[in-house]
Amino acid sequence: MSGFEVLNGGIQASIQDLGRVGLASIGVSEAGVLDEYSYNLLNQILKNPYGTNALEILFGGVKLKAKGEGVFAFSGAIADITLNNKKIEMYKTYQIKDGDVLNIGFALSGARIYLGVKGGFEVKEEFKSSSVSIKEGIGGRVIKPKDFLSFATCKQNYNVVLKESHRPKFENTITLRMVKAYQWDMFEEDEREKFFSSTYEVTSQADRMGYRLSGEKIASTCKGIISEGIAYGAVQIPAHGEPIVLLKERQTIGGYPKIGSVIRVDCFKLAQAKQGNKIKFELVSLEEARKSSKKFNNFFSEIVL
Amino acid sequence: MKFEVASVDSLIIYFGDSIGEEVASRVRGAFFALKGSNEFIELIPSYTSLLVKYDFMKYSFEEMVELIKGRIDSSSGAEVESRSITLPVYYGLEVGLDLEDMAKSKDLSIKEIIKIHTQKEYFVYAIGFAPGFPYMGEVDRLIATPRLANPRAKVPKGSVGIADTQTAIYPRLSPGGWNIIGRTPVEMFDKSYEGFSYFRVGDRVRFESISKDEFIKLGGEL
Repeated sequence: MSGFEVLNGGIQASIQDLGRVGLASIGVSEAGVLDEYSYNLLNQILKNPYGTNALEILFGGVKLKAKGEGVFAFSGAIADITLNNKKIEMYKTYQIKDGDVLNIGFALSGARIYLGVKGGFEVKEEFKSSSVSIKEGIGGRVIKPKDFLSFATCKQNYNVVLKESHRPKFENTITLRMVKAYQWDMFEEDEREKFFSSTYEVTSQADRMGYRLSGEKIASTCKGIISEGIAYGAVQIPAHGEPIVLLKERQTIGGYPKIGSVIRVDCFKLAQAKQGNKIKFELVSLEEARKSSKKFNNFFSEIVL
Repeated sequence: MKFEVASVDSLIIYFGDSIGEEVASRVRGAFFALKGSNEFIELIPSYTSLLVKYDFMKYSFEEMVELIKGRIDSSSGAEVESRSITLPVYYGLEVGLDLEDMAKSKDLSIKEIIKIHTQKEYFVYAIGFAPGFPYMGEVDRLIATPRLANPRAKVPKGSVGIADTQTAIYPRLSPGGWNIIGRTPVEMFDKSYEGFSYFRVGDRVRFESISKDEFIKLGGEL
C-alpha cells in the first residue's frame, strides 16, 4: 500500500468526489468538489474514471511525504509546487517514490488546488461518496498532520500533459450566468436592474457552503419566506440586501428570498474566486443554460491527450 | 400546485402559501408519489413546497412539469403511513439553557413551560438545516419565542429548541439561534436507522419529560 503522510494540512484540504445524491430530504448536503471543471480535467490526465476522488486544497500550504510508489497530478488554482524542492508543472502526471516530499505553495491565481492520484485515494465512503462534508462531519474531516492518505501502488508513469489551451484561467472579474428562479417576481424591475448592472465583490465569508458578496443592496417586496428547498447556485438576498450564492455544502432548506440561480458551470468558476474578486451577474434563458452545460460536457469527451 | 424554476436543473412545486397540515399532507403525498423513481434525482419536501432536481439534459422544465403532474395524479389517494412517536426529553436547567430567560420573559414558571411543551402533539414538516434536524410545529403561542438575537456558536447535541412556533432537535453540536429548553438522549441521525433520520416528514411527535437519571440511563450526555 502506498500513500502520502501529511506533514502540513494547510488551511482546509479535504477529499472530495462528485458528492452525495438522494439524502437532501433528510438534511444531508450534497458536498463534493467545488470546481468540477478542474477536477474533471485532473481525472482525464490521470486516466481515472469519471468521479474518482481527489484532494481539494483551499489556497495551498500543504506538505506531503510519499510512501511507496504512485502517479499524481495537480489541477485547479495555480500555485508553486515542488517535488523534492524542484518545481513541477500542473496538469502533468508525475511519478512519486518512497520518501519524496511534495510541497504545495499558496495559490497565485484561483482558490482551490486539486491533487489527484492514479486510482484515487482509498478512503472509506459514507453514503456512497468519499466527499467530506466539513460542517456536517460526514465522510471524515479535513486533513491534519500525521494523517495517511493511502492509494494503490502504481509504478508506471504515463507522462501525460494537458494542452495549455485546455487549462482554466482564473480572472479577477467573473460574470456569472443565472436563470430566473424562485422569488424572481418579488424583486421589482428597478431592483433587478440594480442587481444586474452592479459589480459585486467576494467577501471573506466565502466557503464550501456559499459565497457572500458585498456591493449594491437589493430590496425585495418580502422580508422572509416559508423555508424551502435550496438548489445549487441559488442567489439568496437576505434582509441586509447583499447576495449570497449557495454552493455544494449549502443547507438543504432555508427561508431567504432568492432572485435566481447561477448555472452549474458558472458555480465552478465562482468556487475559484478569492476575496476581493469582482462578480457580475448576467441573465440567461433555461435553453441557453442547457446549451452551455452541453458544451461543458462535450468538452471533456473531445479532449485528446 | 404552482411550478417555478429553482435552478437550471431543478424546479419547485408550491402547494399553498401558509403553513398548515392540509398543505403539508399534499406536499407529503407528492413527495411519496415521486420518491424512488430515478427521473427525480433529489427531492426536498418542506412546509409548503417540494424541490425536485432532475436531469436537465434529458428533460426540459415543461416536460418535467408534465411528468410530475402525471405521477401525482395517478398516485392520489394512496395513504402514506404517519407514525406517532414519543420523544424523551430532560428539561433540567443545566441542559435547558434558555429556560430561565424564557420563564422570565413569558411570566411563566419553568414547570409551566415544560407542561405546555409536552402537552401538544407536533407535526414534522421538514427535515433540513442539518442531517436529521426535524422542523416541527406548532408550538403553543404561550411559549413561542423568537430566535436569539445572538446565536450560540455551540449548541450541544440533542438540544431541544424553540424558534417562534417551531420546535426542533439539534442532531449534533452546531451553531444555532433557537431557544434551548431541554435535551434528548435519542440520536437524530444514525446510519443504523432505516432512512438514517430518526424522524420522517409527516411523523406526529410528543415530548415526554424525563428525569436526569432516566436521561443518563438512556445514554444522554450532560
